Amino acid sequence: MENMANKVARIPNLVDWSTGEVRLMSAKCNSCGTHFFPKEHYQHRPGCSREGVEDVLLPQKGKLASYTIQYYPCPAPFKTEKKITPYGIGLIEFEEEKIQVTGIITETDLKSLKLGMEMETTILEMFTNEEKQQVVTWAFRAVK
Amino acid sequence: MGFSEKVFSDFAAVAVEGALKDANIEWKKIQAIMAGIFIYGGNAGHLSGQYLESIFGETGVPVVNVYNACATGSAAIRMAYNSVAAGETDTALAFGADVSPKGFLTAKSDNAVQDRDVIRWKMGGLPNPIYWALECRKRMEKYGTTEEDLALVKVLMSEYGAKNPDARFKKPYTMEEVLNSVYVCDPLRLYEICPVSTGAAAVIVTADKELISKADKAVKINATTMGSSIYGDPTIRISALSCPAVAEAPMLSESYSASRQAYEKSGIGPDDIDVLELPDNSSWHYLVYLETCGFCKEGEADKMLRDGMTKIGAKLAVNPSGGFSSHGEALSAQALWQVIECANQLRGRGGARQVEGAKVAMAQTYGLMGNSGTTILTL
Repeated sequence: MENMANKVARIPNLVDWSTGEVRLMSAKCNSCGTHFFPKEHYQHRPGCSREGVEDVLLPQKGKLASYTIQYYPCPAPFKTEKKITPYGIGLIEFEEEKIQVTGIITETDLKSLKLGMEMETTILEMFTNEEKQQVVTWAFRAVK
Repeated sequence: MGFSEKVFSDFAAVAVEGALKDANIEWKKIQAIMAGIFIYGGNAGHLSGQYLESIFGETGVPVVNVYNACATGSAAIRMAYNSVAAGETDTALAFGADVSPKGFLTAKSDNAVQDRDVIRWKMGGLPNPIYWALECRKRMEKYGTTEEDLALVKVLMSEYGAKNPDARFKKPYTMEEVLNSVYVCDPLRLYEICPVSTGAAAVIVTADKELISKADKAVKINATTMGSSIYGDPTIRISALSCPAVAEAPMLSESYSASRQAYEKSGIGPDDIDVLELPDNSSWHYLVYLETCGFCKEGEADKMLRDGMTKIGAKLAVNPSGGFSSHGEALSAQALWQVIECANQLRGRGGARQVEGAKVAMAQTYGLMGNSGTTILTL
């Protein structure tokens, strides 16, 4: 993994790299089995006792369930130093957890994207803050 | 005063004035006001009913302000209907008015813990049409929807919009022009996504027999319902960052729920409906809504479209108004506008786009984060 020192997520509690891999911070309800992301946004099956919710990290790798290519710059409060359009947005499926999560795709060869291909969680450097830290978000890229 | 200098209450007043004239009803007969709020309008927008009441003259009647995203108007008409049906009032007004900011609609708070909308804007780079494009790509893979199908929706909508004096966009487009328009978010092109718009709409609901007899062809509301999402709906909902990977409920389950409630309450089903105004926020919506609302089975909407089964003159006329594609969407007004379009078709006011012999019409809405309403009308 690339050097993650001096990097900070723009919004906390969404992406973790403390294990040595970049992974999304999800939560799971041990009563109804629902995984949800972000972990603060609780989701339960109707009738669930809502007991035993625990934080879990999603696997680093998943499959590309859908994607689009955005040709227009995303308006504020989205912010990147470099021009990133056109950029890919993927919906990545984590099969065992039965959840799909969106994220920017860092591939530059957007024509190579194919549904079902294996993708891994990574980070996208967005801009440098006043403390000279790289502010990042989670993203996905094809597994080479 | 130019159009761009007008404020939401100016538009609201025009719509309400129009409804009063059309129904031949005096303002003093209105016994309740159900107002769709204008979210970008601050105090005035959030209390839009009170502002509107003050323009026409305050009468002390109950005023309720409501927000259900793009299905806000559905909530307003449902409350007006329920107030009359419950016998609380004889005559109630539902209205909505909106002035949209330019460009993509963006985040309205800065608290990422309570509002995941903040996360999708700051971290996700996810304007609304991306959600539709992600679903559209899945559909193309699963059912073989083609780029030509998506373009054909715009061709058809623009043909009707050109015949509608009230449409904002009146230019008819050819297949080639649509397919040559730029991608906004591949596979959706510029002409296959509706823009935001400014507008107002008002509906008067009454059970007063004398008022009904004085109106120019009053129409009957057979059902007006609202639905929210069902657990296990696989749709990636606007604002969300995730969705279930395994479907345990129908797609767009909020609209599935609203439409099924309306069918049950009215005893009217898709086969009985002559005119359908559906929320064509994008070409994908046009196709999927035919399936969600039960006008065909899943994956069959493309064939319905290609075979001309959704055209004026076919058994079911879809969006004879030209749809959102020809009007744009004005958040709190659009659901009521759809009901008015349906009512005017039943009243034979469709002009060059009239659906001959239309007896039953249905207005279907779609609102962000699991909001939907269905209204079924008959002559």
